Amino acid sequence: MEAPPVTVMPITSGTINMMEYLLQGSVLDAALESLLHRLRGLCDNMEPETFTDHELVYLLKGQQGNPFILRARRSLSHPTAPWHLRYLGQPEVGDKSRHALVRNCVDVAASHSLPDFLNEMGFRMDHEFVTSGHIFRKGAMKVVVCNVSRVLVPGNTENTERMSLSHLVELSVLAPAGQDTVSEDMRSFAEQLRPLIHLEKIDPSKQRH
Amino acid sequence: MQQREEKQLEASVDSLISLVALTKNALQSFIYKLENEYERLTWPNVLDNFGLLSGQLNTINKMLKNEKTPSFRSQVIIPLVLSQKPDDDLTVLTEQRVPVFSHEIVPDYLRTKPDPEVEEQEKQLSTDAARIGPDVAQKQIQALNKMCSNLLEKLNNPRDDRDAESAASRLNKPSFNPGDTNALVAAVAFGKGLSKCRPPGPMAPGHPGQGPMMSGGPTLQQVTIGGGGGQQAGMGGPGAPQQQGQPGKMPSSIKTNIKSASASMHPYNR
Repeated sequence: MEAPPVTVMPITSGTINMMEYLLQGSVLDAALESLLHRLRGLCDNMEPETFTDHELVYLLKGQQGNPFILRARRSLSHPTAPWHLRYLGQPEVGDKSRHALVRNCVDVAASHSLPDFLNEMGFRMDHEFVTSGHIFRKGAMKVVVCNVSRVLVPGNTENTERMSLSHLVELSVLAPAGQDTVSEDMRSFAEQLRPLIHLEKIDPSKQRH
Repeated sequence: MQQREEKQLEASVDSLISLVALTKNALQSFIYKLENEYERLTWPNVLDNFGLLSGQLNTINKMLKNEKTPSFRSQVIIPLVLSQKPDDDLTVLTEQRVPVFSHEIVPDYLRTKPDPEVEEQEKQLSTDAARIGPDVAQKQIQALNKMCSNLLEKLNNPRDDRDAESAASRLNKPSFNPGDTNALVAAVAFGKGLSKCRPPGPMAPGHPGQGPMMSGGPTLQQVTIGGGGGQQAGMGGPGAPQQQGQPGKMPSSIKTNIKSASASMHPYNR
């Protein structure tokens, strides 16, 4: 790691102050092919990329309420690729005029010693999972269709178990804060995927229990 | 008496010629437009031209049917001389179209009946039509009508069929499950349903970064991320007020204090 962890810098301005606009949904495996077919038609004309990622979620617990969360991700299909460290802020879902969930987002590439580094800083891994699926793009929009698997033996990504018989579908855009027009585009795109799937802004805190 | 008839005939021929000339001019200009101005030609414009032509043809028809017009049918034209030599007068008269009044072109230009072959074919068709009995014809007509009406019905109501079909398939096969959506979102957001995979003890060999979990500390699932209750400040120790999401002091012996970009704590500036 040659740069300081960006996540400890004040997130105020410049390129760092990016927001992620997000809509989520899922598709049953039985209907996966029709969804991929439709996405191939709707999205930019490119060969759909597939990926297999391993995500480790780290916590730094303070004495006060909320732990600090960082997400480290590595590609299992490209082991030499850099790790990806991501900070996600508090999701904002309340604003009815906005059609997508919005949260602060900081992405940074990292070397392979990232887990050691986080450990040294006092971060501890909370959970891990493996996702694999397809990525599509349409302009600035990114569509990820992936399944989520538990890691049965800690650290062994060979031995996994599917979470459910559905694929998670995420439609996201990275944009500077305040560009709420992108959520309009996202909504109209999500509209084209109905009734196959429903992409909605889902408040994760409501799914906790 | 005969003189009067001849005069009448001449007058009607003259007016016929002038009407035909008008029609010809309109046709010419229309063809010119089609060939040279097709890029600018709009559909209403084309329709206007067609309207003009049909009006002129109507006028000619009216004139021919008029009682005062003598019957051209009773007039006979006989080619008196056929010649292989080019005829300059004829060329000028026909605007360069017919230079020679020869045996080759005369049958075409002076024809008043269809080709004998065509006539033969037409006769054949009418005998065929006459041979079929009225009952058989009626049946064929009914069958054709039925087919046509069926086809029309299908073409007129394609939407109903399609909607019913897709609605049925939707009822039979849901393509998504809201419960799965929530489970997946919760798993990706804070590891719900994944917690049993938390490393229970010492790290697995070859996989750095998975230290033992700290005992007693809250896991991500137990703390609230969203702006709900349960995140009052000061539930820990005295500690200076900190921003939400900022790291605080570790409860363990590891004293790692990460303040906003504090240079003194930077691990690589030492």
